[in-house]
Amino acid sequence: MSDSGAGMVSWVLNGDPVESPAGMTILEAAKAHGAELPHFCYHPGLSIAGNCRICLVETNRSPKPAISCSERISDGLEVQTHSEKAVEAREGVMEFQLINHPLDCPVCDKAGECTLQDYSFDHGPDESRFVEKKNIRHTKDLGPTIKIWGNRCIVCTRCIRFCDEISGTGELCVVARGDRSVVDVFPGIPIDNPLAGNVVDICPVGALISKDFMFQSRVWNNEHTETVCGGCARGCNVTVETNEGFVKRLMPRENTDVNDWWMCDFGRYGWRYAHDDRRVSVPRRGAEAVETELEAHRDLGELVRGAWGGSKKVAIVVDPFLTCEEAHLVGRVAAGTGATVGGWLPPSGDELTFPGKFKISGEKCPNRRGVEAVLGQEVFGSQAKAVESMLNSGGVDLVIVFAGFPNADCPDALASAVGKATARVAFTLFDGAWSEAADLVLPSASVFEKEGTYVNEDGRLQRVRSKDRPGDAQLAQPGLHSASISSPWVTSELVALQRALVHVGDAERSLSAAGVFRQLADSNEHFKGQSHRGIPATGVPLGGLAPAGVGEGSES
Amino acid sequence: MGHDAHAEPEKKPGKLGLLGKAYLPAIAQGLLHTLGHIVKWDHNTLNYPDEKRAPFPGYRGEHRLTRDEQGREKCVACFMCSTVCPAHCIEIVAEEAPWPDREKRPKIFNIDMMRCIYCGMCEWACPCEAIELTEVFNIPVRTRAEKIYDKERLLSN
Repeated sequence: MSDSGAGMVSWVLNGDPVESPAGMTILEAAKAHGAELPHFCYHPGLSIAGNCRICLVETNRSPKPAISCSERISDGLEVQTHSEKAVEAREGVMEFQLINHPLDCPVCDKAGECTLQDYSFDHGPDESRFVEKKNIRHTKDLGPTIKIWGNRCIVCTRCIRFCDEISGTGELCVVARGDRSVVDVFPGIPIDNPLAGNVVDICPVGALISKDFMFQSRVWNNEHTETVCGGCARGCNVTVETNEGFVKRLMPRENTDVNDWWMCDFGRYGWRYAHDDRRVSVPRRGAEAVETELEAHRDLGELVRGAWGGSKKVAIVVDPFLTCEEAHLVGRVAAGTGATVGGWLPPSGDELTFPGKFKISGEKCPNRRGVEAVLGQEVFGSQAKAVESMLNSGGVDLVIVFAGFPNADCPDALASAVGKATARVAFTLFDGAWSEAADLVLPSASVFEKEGTYVNEDGRLQRVRSKDRPGDAQLAQPGLHSASISSPWVTSELVALQRALVHVGDAERSLSAAGVFRQLADSNEHFKGQSHRGIPATGVPLGGLAPAGVGEGSES
Repeated sequence: MGHDAHAEPEKKPGKLGLLGKAYLPAIAQGLLHTLGHIVKWDHNTLNYPDEKRAPFPGYRGEHRLTRDEQGREKCVACFMCSTVCPAHCIEIVAEEAPWPDREKRPKIFNIDMMRCIYCGMCEWACPCEAIELTEVFNIPVRTRAEKIYDKERLLSN
């Protein structure tokens, strides 16, 4: 890049001549060149406010330091981010930010991930010179899920801009003036929109606190698992935070192709079913528990072996919560037994689109596209009807159903049809009509315990990772953890199906999810050339898949 | 056995006479020394457990959770002690405090005394002076479970 091309700007960052696309702010352009500047009010997903003043830098344009989040770059601009003037300016701003801050980090849930803490350490003065009395501002509920500690608020207005621009609901505002100003809701209008939880994430300090996570865990104790939300077909990228195997909260992960920086409250607070006491956690024959998991998987293998080679009438009912790998194994079982595979879909909900382009899909399952790509486009359509009529007409020797839907309801018609088969196997999260009818009940893994891939409604292939770590199985023992919620140790369908295939003799050994995916990539044109390792953190679009709304099925 | 250059040359014992070879004077000398101590009565042995030695200042014994002037535990469940603990022997579960002036308090505060190495870093990390090490050192128990101290036990220490 000898001369600046169209739309490129030559400027000087800390003495080094650099080039950046025109129209970028100093903060963004400096970040692209490796110079991180502190910021409270700036957020890449929100409009520029420029009110916190912590991003001050020295430029050759003005005698006063400039706020880098709002100042655009231009030819000939010279920026000093660490000159004496810039450092002194930021230190001054930091001292003012901390004047009324209560410094209650030990009881603040933000401590550990608080930018005020970090910047105070990096840019702040060593001690406060403020000897006057600190302001007291309100501590109260802003809505059913959110509480505000006004004393901690630095009035960056990120939450207010989020409610104005992204959720479009505008519940929040700043009340009072000067050092008494604080975020509040309008009287009688709580903040309860479906994206409300995001204001807690973007709060740079501990002012807005999620009541769901309040006092649950200190953030530095949490283990992070980068996975995908299973709440709807949108497939928002999330980080599941766990402590000793227990989910503590879900946080959105940046992916500008799917969910930007946000996630909805249905997904965010919708993890409790994974630790529900009523979950099926041990396999059983009818009502009697099977002693070991291996024994139950051998039972499954024996049933599949009996039907191997197409000698019997077999039906398999899949659900859109299976990963692509599990669907591939179902396909192998179906190919070996000559089974008819149909699927069922959970009832669809309302599709919500917000002014900030964030979308909640009406399809309340994470992997319909993936299961269709593996088992055929009609698996939830005409094939589902074929399976139902086949079951209703009687004479089916073996039926295997998958009921990984977190809410226990399933279509009654299908449930009664399943009951007519001779041998019935159900993979289920909760007991329901299907597991009552089944004579072999196997626990289903929830989305937090699955390893594999999901395909979202736009045909984007994304990795799903299990929150469980080797050794967590011990935590499943009752009485070891004093927390009131339970954490069942569940072996996923991926393992159960492979053990059955090994028992039949169709597979030599069980593989990891990545190994099964390799088989899938070799045999399926949609997945050709993909591998677990090759999928980037933000997913990859799959070739040859119909985008949302084009395929069959009407969601509205 | 290697001799290095700085080692002192080995002392050679002097020649012993007949009396010396019989060791009788040395034995008598030793007995006299013992007798002297019996007469002086300045022994260091304590008749433990009837007599107890006063611990040295800064002795690190069992933990105690302290109370504020209203009798409530000072602990705010900030997890600093469990974070800094090198033996991972502190388990805390926090809850909302029922008092208007405080936000957070420990619902469960367990210390596994069998795992504790009595380093005192919890005391050092505590921002509220809520945990401290006492001079209590001799609490034998019959089962391991009794050595997991809960909040009430620690508050009463």
